[in-house]
Amino acid sequence: MIFSEVARVTLRALLGRRRTILMLLLAGIPILVGLLVRANSSGVSDVGPTLDGLVIRIVLPLVALVFGTAALGSELEDGTAVHLLTKPIRRSTIVLAKVAVAGTLTALLLVPSTVIAALLIGRAGVGSEAALAMGVGVLVGSYVYVAVFATLSVLTSRGLIIGLGYALIWEGLLAGVLPGSQAFSVREYVRGIAELLAPSTMDSMGGGAGALYAAVALVAAIVIGSLRLAAYEVRGAE
Amino acid sequence: MSQAAQPIPALQPTPAPPPTGTLVLEHVSRWYGNVVAVNDVTFEIGPGVTGLLGPNGAGKTTILHMLAGLLRPSAGTVLVAGQSAWRNPAVYRSIGLVPEREAVHDFLTGRAFVEMCARLQRLPEPRAAAARAIATVELESAADRPVGTYSKGMRQRVKIAGALVHEPPILLLDEPFNGMDPRQRLHMIALLRSMAAAGRAILFSSHILEEVERLADQVLVIHAGRLAAAGNFREIRRLMTDRPHTFVVRSSDDRRLAAAFMAQPAVFGTQLDDGRLTVQVAEFGGFTRAVATVARDAGVSLFEVAPTDDSLESVFAYLVSRR
Repeated sequence: MIFSEVARVTLRALLGRRRTILMLLLAGIPILVGLLVRANSSGVSDVGPTLDGLVIRIVLPLVALVFGTAALGSELEDGTAVHLLTKPIRRSTIVLAKVAVAGTLTALLLVPSTVIAALLIGRAGVGSEAALAMGVGVLVGSYVYVAVFATLSVLTSRGLIIGLGYALIWEGLLAGVLPGSQAFSVREYVRGIAELLAPSTMDSMGGGAGALYAAVALVAAIVIGSLRLAAYEVRGAE
Repeated sequence: MSQAAQPIPALQPTPAPPPTGTLVLEHVSRWYGNVVAVNDVTFEIGPGVTGLLGPNGAGKTTILHMLAGLLRPSAGTVLVAGQSAWRNPAVYRSIGLVPEREAVHDFLTGRAFVEMCARLQRLPEPRAAAARAIATVELESAADRPVGTYSKGMRQRVKIAGALVHEPPILLLDEPFNGMDPRQRLHMIALLRSMAAAGRAILFSSHILEEVERLADQVLVIHAGRLAAAGNFREIRRLMTDRPHTFVVRSSDDRRLAAAFMAQPAVFGTQLDDGRLTVQVAEFGGFTRAVATVARDAGVSLFEVAPTDDSLESVFAYLVSRR
């Protein structure tokens, strides 16, 4: 009951008109690319790498960043979160409900978009297998990214900027250069899960490791976020 | 200034009130980096209305936030209804907080917001409780409109309804009168008084002397993070008017008037410079009563008598300095 109460108000807050339109546009980009590929050829065989560069590298982290930071950080900034924080409810319930709603919204937008794009891009016989693998990868990635970004927005008031830096610089540039950093890259987890389901679509850090790291990151982010929220101090008003 | 610090009078008569409705600060300090916001404050308050009076930036909000468990005290103990408020969500069954700055989601109707508060408090009948709270703040006519369409006074009232929907024994309000018109202010004063009459402990902050005078049974004066005075309003008022004052006087013969003033026991100094006569007096009331007679007896016409430091800021500074 508490969970659904927090979830409901979070959902209403996240579905602001401007944000929703912007996110729908972002989610439409993979489909648009799919249509363009389809119009000019009969599809490609390397569906994984094509979608990886577009969806997993850019669209997924961006949408998750917007929803994740809006669900917690923005409410802490404008003070609406105070009405939740001054109730006799567990702080972990707040974090769980927020991550669940923001993660589900991200997944609802991006899983269909990814699956449709994979089916459009993929050559006959390749597309459906890749679509399933990428769809599941993006589904899991939605929740992991949102949890990480939501917790980041509790830890710092600059969650949006730092999250953007993480996705673009850490994951985009360094993870390719420094092999060890892959363990801290959600993008690599998503690639790993896709590989696990359809080995031909992706060449990653290894599917088992990806799934395991994703689970650990999700739990760790929620635990850290809850602990930090339990000791949250309003920023100086005076 | 050299006199021994007087103990702050106990605000609550013995025997001790039930612990559910009390707020206690024991040697509480709070600092942000090198800045001390609250400095070694000790007080205990019980049922009734208590005003936290002080200029902006004095530390009032910091004190309220510590009582509401939204800030960790850097030193000392904060007890709300006998429990620590920090990292203890259970304490929110006993507290209602009405923050000043914090917003309510614009898209919620007033009723939806108050019902949400009721459900988060796990009340058995959230709708009925919300309806009662909305009636208490007289917001029924606007309850089904989005909060985004509310005036500032209405937002304040819907926040109060949300804070008292679970009928907490303690209500904390940060600058509740800000942005209210005089009519709303009167209504709010009546509302808070009736809630105090029902046995609640109500602590509100304000930087306006008149608001505190009209509403509070007890007053805590805060200045620069320190507790400057505590007691009932009449005592505080007396302390404020009995302090030494400085007046600027213009007259037909300042030199002669200065000599006449020096013969008065209430005056302990006069100064003439740039054609202005400045008079230091020990007590406000005595001097203002005597000044016309003194001038007449000396055969001097008075053009102007003006106190120089009547700002609330200087009053607070004086109260701190005499402790």
